[in-house]
Amino acid sequence: MIITVTPNPAVNKIYWVDKLKVGSKTQDEFLTRATRSSTSAGGKGVNISIFLAGMGVENVAMGFISGHAGHVLINDLRDKGVTTNFCWTSGETRTNVIIMEQGKEHIPIEVDEGGSGVTTIEAERFIRRYKRALSRASWVVLGGVLPPGVDDGFYHRLTELAKEKGINVVVSATGTPLTRALSAAPYLVKPDLRESLIWDGMVLDTEEHIIAAGKKVIAMGVDMMLISHEVTGDILVTAKGVWKVKARVEMSQLQHLVGADDVFLGGMIYKLQADEGVEGALKFGMAAGTLYAEHGASVCRTQEKIEREMSIITLEQLEGPQ
Amino acid sequence: MKVRDIMTKDLTSIEKEISVKELIFILNSSGTTSVPVVDDEEKLIGFISESDIIKAALPGYFELLDGIAFIPDMNQLSKKLVQIEDDAIEKYMQREVVWVYDDDDDLQVADMMIRKNIRNIPVVNREGHLVGVVTRINLVQQLL
Repeated sequence: MIITVTPNPAVNKIYWVDKLKVGSKTQDEFLTRATRSSTSAGGKGVNISIFLAGMGVENVAMGFISGHAGHVLINDLRDKGVTTNFCWTSGETRTNVIIMEQGKEHIPIEVDEGGSGVTTIEAERFIRRYKRALSRASWVVLGGVLPPGVDDGFYHRLTELAKEKGINVVVSATGTPLTRALSAAPYLVKPDLRESLIWDGMVLDTEEHIIAAGKKVIAMGVDMMLISHEVTGDILVTAKGVWKVKARVEMSQLQHLVGADDVFLGGMIYKLQADEGVEGALKFGMAAGTLYAEHGASVCRTQEKIEREMSIITLEQLEGPQ
Repeated sequence: MKVRDIMTKDLTSIEKEISVKELIFILNSSGTTSVPVVDDEEKLIGFISESDIIKAALPGYFELLDGIAFIPDMNQLSKKLVQIEDDAIEKYMQREVVWVYDDDDDLQVADMMIRKNIRNIPVVNREGHLVGVVTRINLVQQLL
């Protein structure tokens, strides 16, 4: 069983508009009407859980939720076949607003709330529940930003607890929580560079810089580091080699970019947990992420369709074993 | 149809050591009326509902009555709740739990719910791990 932990999940409210009116002078000019909208559960671990459930992989989504938005989130997850095991806290689960302008879907506007605070007692309650869940887990995925009040060492602690039981841990996060998790040597890390290309003092702007940073992370005992270099291209650094995976697709075809990188990671995990090789997992992950970005979640649910998408994925080994 | 096809796949559960106050918070925020009690391996060891807490907060002789219409005011209930709020729920939980396997038939569960007049039943897999809960509304919904 796979456990995903999303400490600060969100309800994603997406609006599609023909043209977004900004900074106009009259009321008539600043009102933008949505042509359609959707409300769904979001957050890194949550997105991976939805993908895995769609692929028929048993998984449990954990984290903190609260208030009305918490109920919206949990109901959406259940509708999508995800088993839930969230800790309820006081406050309100955050809502993230995403605006997709026609023709510019590949550059959505996203406004994320910070989320409600979590107390030390609530965090400890979660840890107790997480420890129990570990007794049935084979993989753990920790993802996203931490809610206010949760210590930066949270992912480090969760990684340590899982590793004590011999469970593979994947961390997809950013900033200090990710940096601190490294010393617990998770299996795979994926720094989130959407807000800044700088992580732990390293500027991850070129292929060379990414590979150098990856080698530094591998030297700490981490098995793999995956980094999005371009929207349609990622680099995987491992002790056995460095690979660059790329999707041959026009940017304008990418209609659903929000969460696509999580589907990519979910696709990799889907293959890795089945003991398939790194190269195949990387290609499958990129194919899943690309298919999702092109068509959305409803299409990205069968192995067959993802495998068909693999025809547009290229894989290049940049370096051999270190 | 099998129970696993209709159950709510939620693992909200508690340990026997948590306090009555914490239980009330969990029930209130999650919108459920009862919750399974599990051990360190998520195996079912008990069950506790809001009714168990209300019963615990009522004076002993009220067990002989059908309702609380004879209680002079809500202060009595409130006072007793404050007295027990730090107690471990272990003291009030039901130890003889009614549960079903995830591969049991829906008809079997419906019969059990009607005969025993229960609303929610924890669902376990063949290894004894909690995998969800089946409710009356789960059963009714799948009949539509």
